[in-house]
Amino acid sequence: MASTSFSPYKTASGFLLPSIHSAPPFFTQQPNLSTQITHTAHWTRLILSYARHRQLFLLRVEDAETSGSNWDEILKNERINRKLLPTHLSFILADMVSKNLAIYEPVRQTRSVLLYWRTPEEWAEVLHGWADSTGQLNTILTFYDIVEPPVPSPLVGLPLTMLRKAIAILAKTSRAQTIAVADGEGVRFLSGNTTR
Amino acid sequence: MGTLKRYTKSVDGTIPAPALLYPEEEIMALQEGVGIYDGNQKSPQHQSGAVYATSHRLFYIDHPHPSSRSFALDLSHISRTDYYAGLLRSSAKITLYLSALSTGTGRLGSQSNTRRANEEDDLETWECEVCSYRNTSGLSHAASQVCTLCGVPRSATGNNTLSSALPRQLNNISLSSSLPSSSDHLNSMLSSEPVSRSDLGTTNEVACPACTFLNHPSLPNCEICGTELPRRPPRHAPAKSAPSSRPPSDDEDEDDYDELDDRPRMMKISFRKGGDKSFYAVLRRSLLGKAWEPSQVLTPPFKTDNSSSVNNRSGLNSILHDVSTKATTSQSNLEDALQDLEALIVKAREMVRVAEDLNERLSATTAAAASIAPNGQPVLDVVEPEEATFIRSSLAQLGLQMENAPVTQDMIKDERKWFEELARELAGVLQGHGGKGISEDGGMMKKRGVVGMDEIWGGWNRARGVALIPPSTFLQILPHLPTYTSPPIQARTFSSGLSVLHTPLFTKAAFSSRLASLLVIRPKTTVEVAYEEQLPIGLVQDMILEVEETGDICRDEGGAGVNMLDTNQGGETQWWPNVFNGYIWDGQVD
Repeated sequence: MASTSFSPYKTASGFLLPSIHSAPPFFTQQPNLSTQITHTAHWTRLILSYARHRQLFLLRVEDAETSGSNWDEILKNERINRKLLPTHLSFILADMVSKNLAIYEPVRQTRSVLLYWRTPEEWAEVLHGWADSTGQLNTILTFYDIVEPPVPSPLVGLPLTMLRKAIAILAKTSRAQTIAVADGEGVRFLSGNTTR
Repeated sequence: MGTLKRYTKSVDGTIPAPALLYPEEEIMALQEGVGIYDGNQKSPQHQSGAVYATSHRLFYIDHPHPSSRSFALDLSHISRTDYYAGLLRSSAKITLYLSALSTGTGRLGSQSNTRRANEEDDLETWECEVCSYRNTSGLSHAASQVCTLCGVPRSATGNNTLSSALPRQLNNISLSSSLPSSSDHLNSMLSSEPVSRSDLGTTNEVACPACTFLNHPSLPNCEICGTELPRRPPRHAPAKSAPSSRPPSDDEDEDDYDELDDRPRMMKISFRKGGDKSFYAVLRRSLLGKAWEPSQVLTPPFKTDNSSSVNNRSGLNSILHDVSTKATTSQSNLEDALQDLEALIVKAREMVRVAEDLNERLSATTAAAASIAPNGQPVLDVVEPEEATFIRSSLAQLGLQMENAPVTQDMIKDERKWFEELARELAGVLQGHGGKGISEDGGMMKKRGVVGMDEIWGGWNRARGVALIPPSTFLQILPHLPTYTSPPIQARTFSSGLSVLHTPLFTKAAFSSRLASLLVIRPKTTVEVAYEEQLPIGLVQDMILEVEETGDICRDEGGAGVNMLDTNQGGETQWWPNVFNGYIWDGQVD
């Protein structure tokens, strides 16, 4: 496969693009159903791993229409002069939502998704671990305290939608408790029964 | 005497008969020594003369008084004839039964009017309203209705206006007075005419019951819409009362008799000197010939009813009638043509059979010559005689080469057998005839692996020449085709609806693997693949799409590149091997 062997490529942000990203057919929606399933799976993996790499949570169809967005590195490949078409991106997003790898955010539209590169359950664990490790159990924290902590944490920039889902999951196992505070919502993390 | 006078016209018997004829009239027979019976009575004035039968009329030329007693009778008046062979002293006779005059009412007034009109027609010249050609008199009644120069019917122009009618009447009077033979009856009618004219003067015009147009009284049909006009009572009234203004004559009794229609209208010709049989035969032929009727080409509108209303049609009516007549004519022409074609097909079959026979005989003689050859004969003799070659090539030029004579259904009884024979024939067209004969080119599919179904169907039918195969039959024989072809040729239909016949080289699997190996070297556009395969682009497109459906290849539509100005990567779809199959993630892992 002389001409079709592509090599991975490291982007400016330090992300290692897969070799398939250099194949022009990767940027074309494939009519063949089985090809399309594989194709979309590759795209899904690329998007999620890039999101994880860059700590990105939201992906919009507009990102494929304009340039200069956070997603340019994967939605375009200037070396082979290809880019993902908005309609194709929209199709991939719909597929991800159907596979529960993303949700439409806000709801009742299909142009923007919240990516689940970590599922809410995983985020719940991350959240509880962060509170535990930073010694903030049994203290009341506002959401602002969590997503914009004075010390950098994996939770920086976490969308509130995801935060609420994670807290709701913790609350079910009595590891968190939502509390109404003066300037909004607050949460108190408890040690619970599964803590280390 | 009644019948004789009313139906016949006096002619001057001193003029030789051929000079009395209309331009298109011909003398068919002549018989001397005849006498005339008016009804059942001998007509005393016509007992010795000659009778001429022409295509239009019957002339009696009296011998003792040729100028005053001769007459002519229009054959169109004769409805029936009878023949009496004669017995002992009574001579053979032909009885002529005469039809009612003209409009058929039998009324005295209209009868004499018609009579007068006929006289006019024959005696005057008339000017065509369209081309102003002055038509001469002396034409037969039918011919006089059409202008000799331009063929426009006389009545179509509606020339029966009062102004033209009056001079004609005057003309008529002077003519009739100059003719010594004119009957009293006619003169009396003419003298009574002014009376009726003056009566008419007040209510001159007749309102049409349909369109209310005021028509000239002499028109029987409305000039605008062709509706029949009501018969005006004033017209008959003077005629009924005419006897008072007419000099009494014995005609009148006869006419009255006739009006009651008790007596058969007939006359007899007695052949005192024989010749009756041949004359009767000629007369009958003339009657059947109906030469006095207008010919169809000249005056189609008159074809159906020339008996009563020859000159009555005008305006829209005549146009409509004309159109319908034309339609009928073209229909019958078409049917004739189709029948001719069928006859031609039959003849063609016969010709093919003869050619087949001839060819077989030629082959037989050649074979015989060849078999003799080893027995010491010079090898030269094996060569087909020049004449035979010439005949064969002639047959080929005529399209009668027998080696590829088309198979037709009538040659084979069983339908299944027929399909198989057709498949065999088609195989010959596609792949040549087993290496012998005329197909050096090797058939339609020698050099091409894929050919469109439509092209094959057309090519095959062209090769057949006769008894063409309908598409439905063509499709039915395709399943039989692989049996008779080597390598087997199969049919294939693409998703676009394009149907082709193809060799094994172009089956889905074969093409797919070929395409995959082609694309591994370098991705290609449809056009490039078509160039490689030497096939039409549309066909290749369909074939590639089928391969794509199997998932062996994928596409790069390009076009929407980052750099819109980069024209090197045009919007044409490039085909790639399926790069997703078996791909293992080699990107960021965390």
